[in-house]
Amino acid sequence: MKEMLQRAQERKQKALSEYESKALIASAGVATAREKLAHSREEAIRFADELGFPVVLKGCSDRLMHKTEKGMVKLNIGSAAEAADAYDDIISRDDIGLDGVLVQEQVKGNRELVMGLIRDPQFGPCVMFGLGGIFTEVFKDTAFRVTPLSPSDAEEMLEEIRARDILDEFRGSPSVDRDTLVSALVGLGDLALKYPSIAEIDINPVIVSGNSPIAVDALVVLNGGERK
Amino acid sequence: METFFNPRSVAVIGASNTFFNLAATICNLLKYNKYHGNVYAVNRKGESVHGCPGYASVLDIPDEVDLAVILISAKNVPGIVRDCGEKGIKSIVIESAGFDEAGDEGAALQEEIEQYMRRYGLRILGPNCLGTLNTHNKFCCFYGFIPEKYGDGFIAPGTISYIIQSGGIGVLVLDSFNKDLCRVNKMVSIGNKSDIDEADLIDYFNGDNTEVIGMYLENVQNGSKLMKTAMRVKKPILAFKVGRTAEGSRAAMSHTAGMANNDVIFDSACRQAGIIRLKSISELHSMPKMFTTMPLLRGKRVAVITNSGAFGGIAADLLVENGLEMAALAPDTIERLAKTGQLFNAKNPVDLGPAMSKQMFIDIFDILLSADEVDGLLPVPNVWQDIVVEAILELIKMCHHYGKPAALYIPNAIERILEIRSMYRIPVFESPEEATRALVVSHQQYTYILKKEQTHEGDAAEGAGKETESAIGV
Repeated sequence: MKEMLQRAQERKQKALSEYESKALIASAGVATAREKLAHSREEAIRFADELGFPVVLKGCSDRLMHKTEKGMVKLNIGSAAEAADAYDDIISRDDIGLDGVLVQEQVKGNRELVMGLIRDPQFGPCVMFGLGGIFTEVFKDTAFRVTPLSPSDAEEMLEEIRARDILDEFRGSPSVDRDTLVSALVGLGDLALKYPSIAEIDINPVIVSGNSPIAVDALVVLNGGERK
Repeated sequence: METFFNPRSVAVIGASNTFFNLAATICNLLKYNKYHGNVYAVNRKGESVHGCPGYASVLDIPDEVDLAVILISAKNVPGIVRDCGEKGIKSIVIESAGFDEAGDEGAALQEEIEQYMRRYGLRILGPNCLGTLNTHNKFCCFYGFIPEKYGDGFIAPGTISYIIQSGGIGVLVLDSFNKDLCRVNKMVSIGNKSDIDEADLIDYFNGDNTEVIGMYLENVQNGSKLMKTAMRVKKPILAFKVGRTAEGSRAAMSHTAGMANNDVIFDSACRQAGIIRLKSISELHSMPKMFTTMPLLRGKRVAVITNSGAFGGIAADLLVENGLEMAALAPDTIERLAKTGQLFNAKNPVDLGPAMSKQMFIDIFDILLSADEVDGLLPVPNVWQDIVVEAILELIKMCHHYGKPAALYIPNAIERILEIRSMYRIPVFESPEEATRALVVSHQQYTYILKKEQTHEGDAAEGAGKETESAIGV
């Protein structure tokens, strides 16, 4: 991870790509969707087949912002033929030089959470947990804690959001595995303390599949690397 | 730090006999209070001020000086700080404004002062502050303090200490206590915090005769220092902070940053470090008495006692809205309550009805306080007879006996509440909302102490268990 961050800094990246971001948070103990970076149509088809349909295809680059709006996210890909078409379509829209196309298992679940990290000028790195999905910023139902986090700090965060009841049994789904959430939040805080070059992290959505919270999208924003 | 609150000798630099001289008001106050230490005035002419011997420079003062209080124009401050260093004065209060808060030029002056601070090993309070106040020895270097008007604050020394970033708030608190049970111990205004900050003072108040620490903050510069300090302190720390709505100034590239304005982070830090965040400025003076007069609320289940059905309902709403619970009384408790006499309602809220004897009150208090399913009381009695006051005085003793608190409210006009409170020394709150908040903050403090103990479990000394018991008011 250290090498990846160093390389990103040397290349003056403002952020890590989705693929790199997920590798980084996975190293901190956040469960992420299974995915592979395809560099050709054939690879994309093979990866999709290996992961099992349906899959999601996404353009992947550290410079790619607003990928949904740019038509670079293809959901519900159900066959090899659809995967090939989706791959071609993403490549045809590429005007920045993508690293490749991310082929990802499609995680199913009706609950979406968010996790994140910021550096506060007075208090240092802070971890966030909350209600995720596209309405995150509308509801602003989030809880913060200053790092380093103890497991009980993380447990308090789960109890602090207004929508805390969705962590319990919900519309036929089992209650969310809280231990996984707690270790992910603690791990994110430790990540910030370990790597000063991480400025901010957004993990949204974290989809609850069965009882397992799985990070489906992630963004790691980098700073100049100066130690705070 | 003690020197800032109890100097053997103090030089007030800038005090002169010119019209409307602010530093002179400090000399005046110290003389009025008959302060035990030596007070010197330093001004260009070397003239005496309000009976305090005058000198043209601190270097001319023949005796040792513990503390220098500086109130002159900003541009002259660095030179005076150097003089103080040369004189061997280690503690300095800089009350003058015009430093970091006033642009680049002021910031350069503050930087110059900080250089002298390091060179001479000084401790500095301020700049841009009001100084310190200690009711026990009547030391006060607040400028502009009119003893004839606010001198009452010194009449009875207390146990509540305040760290404030505004002089106006300090005077409000001091004045508000005149009709209350708590009194101020020490008060300090921290200004630009170039050296001494709120964490240093929390540490100091943790070691002196302070029972409750109150803070009015406008900003926090070193958040992790504040948190580490607060986590070690088991005395209640109450903080009111302005800027709840201001958005953070950082560039928001991620969504997380967009939601993390500074106040949200401060709020989280308070929960994490065990600082009680106050909701209004008046809570700075209304809440401390809950800690000084009552044990802590160890659970959330509260029993309401009233002789007005209306107030039973009002109190029940408030408790639940604020995260507490209406205690569900056990059948046995209800039966015992029913036997005491003609209650209108023996369930929670307990409705006393009109006809009461002192003993009946006491019996009811005893039944409720001794019930396992009740953690605390919210009594709303109508004080229409002296027996009610007598019963309340008994209730306070019983609360300590059972280790459970009562937050009292009397449904009367404010004048009558204040009269009863100051006449009988009964901890009465001024509204049902305030009484409810008192229970909430009491419970919050209880959970904070538990958390702080767990955090320090590993490295705690052997005597820690004992300390806990006293800290949670057993």
